[in-house]
Amino acid sequence: MEQGMPETYSGIRERRPETYNDLGGSSEELAYSFEKKCLKAADRTFAQGLQCQEINSMAALMSLDDAVFIAHSPQGCVGCTVMAVDMYRVGQAHRGVKYIRNPHIIVTNLDSDDIVFGGGKKLVRAIHQAEERYAPKLIFIYASCASGMIGDDLDGIVENEQANSKAILVPVHCEGFKSKICASGFDSAFISISKYILKDRHVPKIPGLVNLFAPTTVSYKDQLEMERMLGQLGLTVNYIPFYGSLESILKIPAASASTSICKVFADEFMIELKRKYGIPYSHTVMPIGVRNTDAWFRGIAKVAGKEKEAEEIIAREHERILPLVARIRKRLEGKRVFICGGTGRSFAAAALIDDFGMKLVGLETPTYNQDAQTDIEYLNGIHKDFVVDVANMEPFEQVNIVNRLKPDVFIGVPEWSARFGIPTTHVLDGKRPTMGYDGLLYLGNKMADQIENPGFNVKLAAHARLPYRESWYSEDPFKYIKAAGENTCRK
Amino acid sequence: MSEVTENPRGGCALAGINAVLSAVDRFCPVYHSGPGCCMQTCASEQGQSCGRTASFLSGVSLPSTNMLEKEVVFGGTDKLRTTIQGAMEIIDADAYFVLTGCTAGINGDDIQSVVSEFKNAPKPVYAIDTPGFAGNDMLGYESVIDTFIDKIMVKGPRQQNLVNLFGIVPYHDPYWSGTLEEFTRILRALGLEVNTFFTEHQGIDAVKRAGSAALNIIIHPWLLRGAEKKLSGQFGIPTLRIEGMPVGATDTTAFVRQVGEALSLDSGKVESVVRKEEEYVYDYFEQAIGKLSWKRFAVVSDSNYAVGFTRFLANDYSFTPLLTIVSEPLFRDKDKDAVRKRITNLEYARAPEVYFASDQYDIEKLLAKNDEITLLIGSTNEREIGSRKGCQCSVLSYPVTDKLVFNRTYGGYRGCLTLVEDLYDDL
Repeated sequence: MEQGMPETYSGIRERRPETYNDLGGSSEELAYSFEKKCLKAADRTFAQGLQCQEINSMAALMSLDDAVFIAHSPQGCVGCTVMAVDMYRVGQAHRGVKYIRNPHIIVTNLDSDDIVFGGGKKLVRAIHQAEERYAPKLIFIYASCASGMIGDDLDGIVENEQANSKAILVPVHCEGFKSKICASGFDSAFISISKYILKDRHVPKIPGLVNLFAPTTVSYKDQLEMERMLGQLGLTVNYIPFYGSLESILKIPAASASTSICKVFADEFMIELKRKYGIPYSHTVMPIGVRNTDAWFRGIAKVAGKEKEAEEIIAREHERILPLVARIRKRLEGKRVFICGGTGRSFAAAALIDDFGMKLVGLETPTYNQDAQTDIEYLNGIHKDFVVDVANMEPFEQVNIVNRLKPDVFIGVPEWSARFGIPTTHVLDGKRPTMGYDGLLYLGNKMADQIENPGFNVKLAAHARLPYRESWYSEDPFKYIKAAGENTCRK
Repeated sequence: MSEVTENPRGGCALAGINAVLSAVDRFCPVYHSGPGCCMQTCASEQGQSCGRTASFLSGVSLPSTNMLEKEVVFGGTDKLRTTIQGAMEIIDADAYFVLTGCTAGINGDDIQSVVSEFKNAPKPVYAIDTPGFAGNDMLGYESVIDTFIDKIMVKGPRQQNLVNLFGIVPYHDPYWSGTLEEFTRILRALGLEVNTFFTEHQGIDAVKRAGSAALNIIIHPWLLRGAEKKLSGQFGIPTLRIEGMPVGATDTTAFVRQVGEALSLDSGKVESVVRKEEEYVYDYFEQAIGKLSWKRFAVVSDSNYAVGFTRFLANDYSFTPLLTIVSEPLFRDKDKDAVRKRITNLEYARAPEVYFASDQYDIEKLLAKNDEITLLIGSTNEREIGSRKGCQCSVLSYPVTDKLVFNRTYGGYRGCLTLVEDLYDDL
């Protein structure tokens, strides 16, 4: 632990105070209970699959240049790299790269023998292979459930191997069973970047340089929009870690400010950068929709000391955008919406629908904490009561609620609601625009077009089969959530 | 036995088990595993298999105990019990299968005994205790078929015109449904009924019925050697093994005749099917003679398609085979020999060099040193080396992430027409 540092963040999100992942009810009820501190820790006695933190740790870094990624795991634990790899390849195509590269992912392929005798030797072999093949600058080594349970000593192996390695070896402790909040995996990645790459390195400041932390799901169009906006403030962007490199990581301490595109991405890391390097940061919202884009932009302008300029730019952007938003609003006003998304996107999308005068009837989001409370209170002010499901997907709850509420449009993963014939649209699109002022127009038009022409889903519903029993739809959707104690202060 | 591997193709045993089960109508897997296994396993199989996912249950829809530290350390059988219970209450399935991830495989949770508590449940619950680390997805496929044989198949009176079709692995073969449909079509023309298990919503009844079949047809060079023995020993069903995917008229006709012989079908009928099917193919070929420029080709694929693509393009299409890389790990020499023999034993063409390599670096090295290749057939992973070599690169082999396929097939008679269509690039 560093001197003067009060405590080291564990990287496990559910250990942060007042954090709930298994919860459901009316928005006003939840906000009231949270405020009165009446919520109890809970768990689902029946649940569907989650996303593990290892997936996020890998996805966050997979596009770094000159890096090799070693999963110290059985073959299956690199399954989800498929999505990040696809994003990386398509991202290169969007960036005009001619020879589109594969990321180098090496799996140690732990098997039954290794489970009994330990997999350390295979990990050493994988590290040597990575060096011999690619002479990378960085080698990331990801832990897995299996490596964690059999007690393979990643840190010890790395320490031994580092002496003879030209690459920087970076172990990432992202064992899946350690957290049910996949965003913990982002933290594990940043904790390791800090500990093994930045260490205590101090570099000269570069005036006007801003760290812009972006997860893999941000499209190139969105990157350009963020850079355009920050460029208007005279700021240059260190876009990281997506499509970054060792050099761009090492430039992090040179920045004069930090911000993130996603609420749960690098938030803890930015706190640490402030503590270690005195870099101020802005942690606001995902810039989706006018209000959120304004808030995000004002946030970073404030820490960069450019508030006046920001107001002028916002006024100018509003003048350009708002008449166009008004045209879309005519097509969407009054439509009832159900939203399901990750922490960042779900609340961002909820704010977005205000721009178009839509009504929120249900919201599904993975975590309830103080941040969520702030958003829910704001949304309660506009939409009054709506249903909140604190879940990372749990489609069985979602279909139950959506079937009751019968919204005019569903925002989120369309797979299930589409089969009710409800128009569906998505705000998580890592290949196309969603963010900033221009992204808003793209999203608005997409939503309006899909609501006006729902033919595919309507016809699909006549033939589609969801796997749930008919009886499930009349049960309490939150039936399987069991709290450790009674909530004693119901509103 | 498993090797350190760069960019492995496909997932672990659990991934294979789930991929196969989720391709059967109304089967419900229940994961006793860490929180990410549902997504990881589906991503590695369905997520790399031309864009389709199982519509009944896949990814985050799969019931899961999501084992955390508490269950890992103190055992997760209580969580498993309530999860099975909940799955039965909510999901309208014909059978439930409890699967184990690494966490449950290592901490020793006794899933068999939890499952046995449900023996009086209205629908059957089966345990498949093959954790992820036990091997790769192909082992997963074998585990499922073993479970079918050991626990579900019913030994009934022999049905002379019923055959079981094995070896085409859902999702690991991205064209599985189209290919099963094509072989079903061909076998029906011979007057047979076909258990594919995965198409036409066949489901659990087909699995039960499989015990009455007259013949197993395994279209694969090496899978299911154990199952083959059990099916013969316990059910008395003989097996016809077709060592590699038949693509095009030559190999599909050989397949049809072998089936005819194995079941003593009327040879006049067999030959009339052959004549009609071959005519269909050549009617089209006649309309596009010389449309594709001559190619010297390399294939990177799993063994089934390494055989199928190489043999069709060399034997039936007069392209020049240079190099065939079998990209799945083969552990037995006799399996390697069988595959090598099918690839090198060609009619007119000189045999290609054959390699067995499942590591991306090794595969690229082999491809890089051959500078005569003008057509590279491989997976999405081979796009990079293809673009660097500047040759035509056709992505046909698993894993494929940049195409969407519903019922396309390269197998059988009609599949070869699709293959030639897809190889045409006008460049």
